[in-house]
Amino acid sequence: MFSPSDRRTDKVTILFLLLVAVGFLVATFDVRSSGSGVSETLREGTQSIFTPLQSGVDYVVKPVVGLIDGASNLAGLRDENERLTDRIGELESQIHETEALEEKVAQLEEINGIEVPEGLMSVTARVNASGPSVFDNIRYIDKGSLDGIVAGQAVVDEDGLIGRVDLVSVNAARIRLITDPIVSVGVRVLSTNETGIVTGSGDGPLRLEMFRAKEAVYEGDRLVTDGSRFPQGIAVGTIRDTADSEVGFVLRTYVDPAVRLSQIDYVKVLVGWSPTDAGLHDGDEELTQIGGGG
Amino acid sequence: MSRSRVVISLLVLIVAIVIQTTIFAQGGFNFFGVGPALVTLALIAICLRVEPGYLLVLGFTAGMLMDLIGGGTLGLWAMVLTTVAYSAGRLRSLFRERSPFVVAIVFGLTVMGQLLYVILGTLFGQGTVTTSGVVGMILLPGVWNLVLLLPVFWVLDRVYGFKRGRWDS
Repeated sequence: MFSPSDRRTDKVTILFLLLVAVGFLVATFDVRSSGSGVSETLREGTQSIFTPLQSGVDYVVKPVVGLIDGASNLAGLRDENERLTDRIGELESQIHETEALEEKVAQLEEINGIEVPEGLMSVTARVNASGPSVFDNIRYIDKGSLDGIVAGQAVVDEDGLIGRVDLVSVNAARIRLITDPIVSVGVRVLSTNETGIVTGSGDGPLRLEMFRAKEAVYEGDRLVTDGSRFPQGIAVGTIRDTADSEVGFVLRTYVDPAVRLSQIDYVKVLVGWSPTDAGLHDGDEELTQIGGGG
Repeated sequence: MSRSRVVISLLVLIVAIVIQTTIFAQGGFNFFGVGPALVTLALIAICLRVEPGYLLVLGFTAGMLMDLIGGGTLGLWAMVLTTVAYSAGRLRSLFRERSPFVVAIVFGLTVMGQLLYVILGTLFGQGTVTTSGVVGMILLPGVWNLVLLLPVFWVLDRVYGFKRGRWDS
């Protein structure tokens, strides 16, 4: 069938080279056009076709997946139950202290005029699919432009920032997670009040870079959004490794995301805020994605 | 060869994409956060059902669909799956009579596809090579595909109405 002397083999090889050349041209065009224009329209159209299929499969299969997942974790759950019982005792004793602290925090927020994310309008959506390969740090949700979602809006859950909307169709939207290597988030370290940029690195921890850091950051320090690309005050993560600052050098360390991104099911899209409000964007790719849908 | 077989193959690949993005999505069935490369496996599995020229076009089409619903640069998966289809076509004689080479071919082509995507993704500014756990992302789908090899081939045997033990077209 495929002996080198076979004329048909030559035709197949020529077709192969032709298709690879077409793929290369398409990729070059997509990069040059920064994902907008024709390619964006094609993506939205394809997404519209696949969304009902994905939603249907997700609706049928998700309970089964959850059941199997739960059964496989049964042994671990027993230990977890004991640990949690002990933890409840500790937490109950902390409740009274927490209530007092909450009151104090509320007063401080009022004084400092901090705009908390909870004050924004939001749309709750369900995650019903992810990208087709392990290299895709994206999720699809079941709400789209009909629900007021536009590209660039922040997506959060109860633990913190998940990502941002980067493609919207009528009844679905795509979220690009903060773990994507092309996503950068402006952050502020709560303990020092200094700012930096967090960049994704796939499944691993986020990378933090602080260019003008005067103080060290310590393991466990919390990071929130600085209000440049996302509404300020959203939890982003915690410092994984302590890092010292040195004059003239960039402070670099790693950050554990606040959200367990492998387990997100329902999310909130902050529709009361758009990146144009801040007037700041990431690099070219960020501009494209944000500019794409709104 | 009937064109209906090409249409069936295209539907098989679309179903594989839907399953890949839902059942094997992150948060679903996966191993260390990594699922199978089901579309690659389906493409390899249909290499005996369609002629090499059609297989290339199917690989390119499936790749473009993956690019369109994925988060990367358009055309990367198209190039990868076209290359996988071409390689599978070249090796299709080894698939006959369920040769033990099938296991090595499926693993090898899956890993090759993942590796090629990492290289192309890096060249086109996706930063895939800097992704943490990239080695696992290249190798684990190959292991997954070995696990799914028999079920997928069994299902495709039924879909194409093949008689048991007769794989060649």
